[in-house]
Formats: sequence, C-alpha cells, structure tokens
Amino acid sequence: MTTATSAARLESFSYDDDIVRKFMWATLLWGFVGMLVGVIIAFQMAVPALNLGVPFLSFGRLRPLHTNAVIFAFAGNAIFTGIYFSTQRLLKARMFSDALSKFHFWGWQAIIVAAALTLPLGFTQAKEYAELEWPIDIAIAVVWVAFAINFFGTVARRRERHLYVAIWFYIASIVTVAVLHIFNNLSLPVGALKSYSIYAGVQDAFMQWWYGHNAVAFFLTTPFLGLMYYFMPKAAEKPVFSYRLSILHFWSLVFMYIWAGPHHLHYTALPEWASTLGMIFSVMLWMPSWGGMVNGLLTLRGAWHKVATDPILKFFVVAVTAYGMATFEGPMLSIKTVNSLAHYTDWIIAHVHTGALGWNGFLTFGMIYWLAPRLFQTKLHSTRLAEVHFWMATFGIIIYATAIYSAGLTQGLMIRAFDQTGRLQYPDFIETVLKLLPMYWARALGGTLYVAGILVMWYNVVMTWRKRPAAYEVPTYQAAPLAPKHVDPAPALPNGVWARFQAAHWHRIWEGKAVTFTVMTTVAVLVASAFEIVPTFLIRTNVPTIASVKPYTPLELAGRDLYIREGCFNCHSQMIRPLRYETERYGEYSKPGESVYEHPFLWGSRRTGPDLAREGGKRPDLWHVRHFENPREITPRSVMPRYQWLLQNSTDYGTIQQKVDAMAMLGVPYGAIEGGRALTQAEQMAREQAAAIARNIEKEGGPAGLQDKEVVAMVAYLQRLGTDIRKPAPGTTASTQGVTRAAPAGGQ
Amino acid sequence: MKLSDVVANAGLAIYAQIALVLFLAVFVAVAWRVFRPSRKADLESAGGMALHDAPQSDSPTSRLGAIA
Ligand code: HEC
Repeated sequence: MTTATSAARLESFSYDDDIVRKFMWATLLWGFVGMLVGVIIAFQMAVPALNLGVPFLSFGRLRPLHTNAVIFAFAGNAIFTGIYFSTQRLLKARMFSDALSKFHFWGWQAIIVAAALTLPLGFTQAKEYAELEWPIDIAIAVVWVAFAINFFGTVARRRERHLYVAIWFYIASIVTVAVLHIFNNLSLPVGALKSYSIYAGVQDAFMQWWYGHNAVAFFLTTPFLGLMYYFMPKAAEKPVFSYRLSILHFWSLVFMYIWAGPHHLHYTALPEWASTLGMIFSVMLWMPSWGGMVNGLLTLRGAWHKVATDPILKFFVVAVTAYGMATFEGPMLSIKTVNSLAHYTDWIIAHVHTGALGWNGFLTFGMIYWLAPRLFQTKLHSTRLAEVHFWMATFGIIIYATAIYSAGLTQGLMIRAFDQTGRLQYPDFIETVLKLLPMYWARALGGTLYVAGILVMWYNVVMTWRKRPAAYEVPTYQAAPLAPKHVDPAPALPNGVWARFQAAHWHRIWEGKAVTFTVMTTVAVLVASAFEIVPTFLIRTNVPTIASVKPYTPLELAGRDLYIREGCFNCHSQMIRPLRYETERYGEYSKPGESVYEHPFLWGSRRTGPDLAREGGKRPDLWHVRHFENPREITPRSVMPRYQWLLQNSTDYGTIQQKVDAMAMLGVPYGAIEGGRALTQAEQMAREQAAAIARNIEKEGGPAGLQDKEVVAMVAYLQRLGTDIRKPAPGTTASTQGVTRAAPAGGQ
Repeated sequence: MKLSDVVANAGLAIYAQIALVLFLAVFVAVAWRVFRPSRKADLESAGGMALHDAPQSDSPTSRLGAIA
C-alpha cells in the first residue's frame, strides 16, 4: 500500500485488545440499563402511577437519564469499542498510551455513574443532552482531552501513510464534540451541583440546538459512519463500494451538518433568517447522507447471498437502511411547514428512535457479534441466537415506530383541527393525549421486545467469553516506520497555473497529513458556527427588547429552579408559535424579548402536556396546588405525574440570595427594580411573597400553612409565566403593551 | 459603545448568505476533485484498506471465521 518502504528496517508491535474488550462489556451493560430506563418511562406514559410516587423515579427526572445513558453511555462506549479496535489496525500502531486508554475507560464509566446518580436526584442544567451539571462537564472535558491525546498520539506514530476514511470520521467527531461540549456548557456555578447558563433566551436556545443537533451529527452519525466504513467491508469481505463517494460523504457532512441546528427552532422566537438557513442546509444534507447509505449498501454487492445466513450482515443492512430513512426524514422534518405539524409531537420521538434503535443500535449489535469471537479468540457461541436477537430487535422497532409515528401524526392533526365554526375542534389538550394511550402501550411493548433482545445478546456474548483460551494470544505484527518526511516523487509540472493546480498532488498529500487535515476540519466547523452564531449574539435587533418584561422575583426564581429540578420541560413547552391554532389555544405567541432573562431557556421540545408560556393567571392558585397533589383529580386520566412532595418539602430559602446574585452577575438587572432590594433582601422578599400566596390559597379554600412549602414557589413561578407582556411598559400607557417592535418570528 | 453596537451597525446579516454560498462552493470543489477520472485508480485502491490491515502476521483474528 502507501506505506513508505524507504526504511528497510521493520518494527514489531502488537495491538491493545484488552481495552477494546473493556469498552465492549461497558457497551453491553449500559445499553441494557439505558434502554431499560426507556422502557420504564414508556410504561409511565401509559400508567403514571408506575413511578410509585418516588421523586427520583418520576418521568421528568428519568427521561434525561434515558437519553443520556443511551447516547453517551451506550453509543459512546460502542464508538470507543470500534475506534480502539479499528484505529490501531488502520494505522498499524498500538494506541499511543495504555495508561491514557485506561484513564479514558474508567473516567468515562465514572462520568456515567455520576450521571446516573445526579439526574434522578434532579441536578440538571435543563438543556437537552447537556443536562449534566458543571463538575461532571469538567470531568467530561478532561476525559475527552485524554482520549484526543491518545488518539492523535497514535496517528502521529502510525506506520501507514494514508489515513483511511474511517479515521477522518473519527477525527471530525473528536474535534467537533470538544468544541460543542465546551461552548454549550458555559455556565455560572451557584453551588456544588447547580449552575445557570451564561446565555439567555434566544441565544441560549440557539446555542443549545447548535449543540443538540451536532451532538446527533458528531456523536451519533460521524463516528458510526467511521465504524460502518470499517466493519461493513470486514463483515462483507469486500472493499467499500466507492471510496471516492465516502470522501464526498465526509466533507459534505462536515460542511453542512454544523449549519442545520436551527431547524429545531422553527416558528419559535428565533430570527427567521437563522431558521431558514438551518432549513436549507438540512435539505441539502439529504443528498450526501443518501450517498453514504448507497455506498454502505453497495458494499454488499456480490455478497447479498451471505445476508441470508449471516446475522451480522443482517444487522448492518438494517442499520444502514435506518440511516437512510432517518436522513431522508430529517431534511423533510426541517421544512417549515412539515415541521409545524411534527414539532412538539411524538413524530420527533419516532424519528429519533429510527436513528437510535435502527442505525446506532443495529450497527453496534452487528459490530459486537463480529468482534466478540475475535476478541475472545473463539467461535461465537450461537449464530442461531444472534439471528433470534435480530428478529426480536427488528419487530421491536417496527412495533415502536408504527405506534409512535401514528401517535405523532394523530396529535399533530388534532392540535391543528378547526371545526366548521372556526373554533378549535379539540380545545381540551387532554383529548389529544387520551387518543394516544393505546399507542403508548404498543410502544412500551415494542421497547420491551428490543430490550429483551439485548438480554439474548448478553447471554450469547457471555457464553462466547466463557470459551476463551486460558491466555489470549497477542500476535506481533511488523511494519516499516514512516519516513520522517514523505516526498511524493515530484512530477514534471505542466505550464499554466490551472494545469499545475490540477496536476499537483495536493489532495493526496493533504489526505496523508493528519495535522493539516484536522486543522481543516476544525476550521470548517468553527467558521460555519461563527457565521451562524455571531449575528445572533451581537446583532441587537435580532432580540428586540420589551420594556415591560422584568426579571423574576426571588420566589419565582426559586420556583423556576424547582421546575428545572423536576424536569417539567420534558413534557411542557414554553414557546407559543405564531400559528393560528397555537394562539387560539394558548394566547399571544411568544416574543424573543420575553425570554431575555431566561438562564437557561425553557422552551422545551415536546408537548406531552399543554404549553405553559402563558400559564400565568389562567388558573387559581389552589387549582395548581390540587393539580400537583394529584393531576387526575383535576383532569381525569391525565398522564401528568403526581408531585405531592412539593406540598411536603420545605422551600430552600437559604440559597435564594445566592441565586439572585448569580443572575445579577449574568446581567439580569435586579439592581434596577424596587431600588435593587433583591440584591440584599432576596430571602425576605421571597418569604413575603410566599406568605401572600399561602394566604390566598387558604382563602380559596385550600390547606393552611403552605408558605414554607415548595409548592408555593412553584405556583408563584407558574402564575408569572407570560404575564409581563400584558403589563404597561414603564412610562407608557397600558394600550401599547410595551412591545418595542413586532418580532420577525415568521409565521403564516 | 459596546462591541454589540459595533457589530449591529456593521450590516453583517448578509454574511450568513455569503457563507452559505462559500460552503457550497467548497463542497462542489471537493466533489469535482474527488470524482475526476484521473483520481479513480488512486483513490479506489485506498478503499481496500479496511480489508488489509493485518500486515505480515498470521493473526488469530484473520484465521477465525466470522462466526460459528
Ligand atoms: C409526563 C409528562 C408531564 C410532566 C413531567 C409534567 N406534566 Fe404538567 N401536564 C401534563 C399533561 C398531560 C397535562 C394536561 C392534563 C392535565 O391538566 O393534567 C399537564 C397539565 C399541566 C398544567 C395545567 C395547564 C393548564 O392550564 O391546563 C400545569 C400548570 C402543569 N401541567 C405543570 C407542570 C409542572 C410544573 C410540572 C413539573 C413539576 C409538570 N407539569 C410535569 C404532563 C406532564
């Protein structure tokens, strides 16, 4: 191949497969745990009482545990398994440092354990897939850097000149994930496990979905594509169908994905231009993604007969097909009109699970079945059982997807339906929820089947492991080191700039240069991000301020932190889109200027319950208290969990001052209201407001003595939501509503 | 005068569109480079790398069949 053979001396080396085995076991373990939590919350959706009334088992707290466990624990460990195995072989070099490999492994597992403890306890940053609090975020950064040093150290010591395309995908993933993680998690700590995002409102939302979408791209797509380009040819025993297509696939993903984030924020208070840009790039992504899918499937050319008998190939074929389906659906969902129907519904949940269960899950399973006999140096215990697993998982996905796509469409259509008199056909939100219950049961069933399949895989892998030799054989390999400076034999350059440009072997040289390559990828990612993000942050007209919008009172702030702790945003949005069926149902659409003090933003992404952006003043205080105590007493068959502990736990008045101070530090103008009283007497103010609310609850016929209970803080917060815009701006008449400028939030 | 004032008055809104065109241009350039017929042999030979990554050793992994 392209290895420089100038040095006749051969070097001996061996591969570290021990670390690969470790990561594979971790993948199996966390895959089961993460998906089991998913199944548990799927059942809770149908029967809320299944949380047993225990705070840390309630939906809002377990849902982030499920997503984080599946993404970072299951998919993360799967990626590392494949990367550690393939990188050493593709580069003909042992990992740079065994110590760093071990540090990476144990560090990552420790982070997962920390996540599994803190998320159910309610410590969360409230940003999807970036929920983990700041100390854990720092640990993630440290472990990731160790991984990067180990990886790039191996690249530097490689004995193979050309970097195979899988390595490119790994490089792009490692670099981009680091950038995303750092920028989205910048926050101001207000305690050991509590922090506020330094960004607010529109900017925080923009940052979050720049992160969120690229986490999908650079954690669940590019590394897995790297694995596909390595393990698919291995299993098919055929070279990749078109290497050139894979190069194109790579660069187009790097160039386009980073722009696509705003498609998560269509019709929100995000500036229209950003949303349109996100849409255009998302639609363009369809082409290269399908290029990649076709490339993957055609790698099986001439090997299709093997698919019938080889479960590994079956897993791979379904994985790549699911990738194709998800990447067709994604661009479609990013078209604004389609998005208006699908957003906030289960359609998005279905889309995600096509990707996660089909693409990430099946690719990982196929890879593990391929690796297990090789890592344990024996034969796979049972091909039959692998086949059984394949069919269980396939039917699991089919049941899940059928149910949840139907649920999404059903709810989307019901929400927007008007009757002949021009009124909402289903004005009660709960009507749209109750329609979905049979589908929620079906989903739970599909999920259970999928998880049961994983247990079958466990058994198979453990039995394979038991047949391992007493001591693993560690073969040594030999290859020549790379000459320090590689010079391609210079061809005679033709005349003319253009001709020279074409004849120069720049691309070839470039592909072999790891440093240049990494820099190029990073530059592409950073430039795209900057072009998209900087205007949102620095052009003031993008976020017109509204004079009547004021910071939360200290008690409301405390209530807001309870809303965050309980993960209410996992079921409730706070973002009314400028669409008629939304404003009819919820009231005036949300303006960017309304969330300028929202650190972090709480717009939400899924409406299992109704939007709460204008909840303030809609219901009496007592209604909320009773509703938290037991939602089903207020709304029969509601699927909202009970929050009876809010009526029992005491409000933590001691930390309120600290919270106000932190917000003030982030630029929330507490100094400008009530003579800056909140800056010195936050606790006192909170107690006064709580006493007033408690009196009112009593007057409405509710229980007495709630002033020290959390529920009062929560009610204070809910009653404030969306009300500022109705107040007169200081120094104007009430009729102007204090809106400086109508928001260009798009709309119909 | 804050940085945000400076940037707000610089008329940067068009930059996003310029960037879009730039990115598209680079993409087309890469596509064209990669798919020129003269690059075919060169690149496609690299496509087999995943299959030839166990140099000069009869490894246990290459000796074992994929599956029982
Ligand atoms: C599992 C999803 C889920 C979670 C988690 C959840 N809710 Fe709900 N919520 C619902 C559903 C469904 C409804 C509509 C039925 C009803 O009124 O109970 C609802 C209704 C509401 C309403 C009534 C809105 C109105 O005026 O009709 C409020 C207020 C509310 N939830 C607040 C909260 C708060 C605060 C939390 C967190 C402590 C929370 N919810 C957590 C699902 C959820």
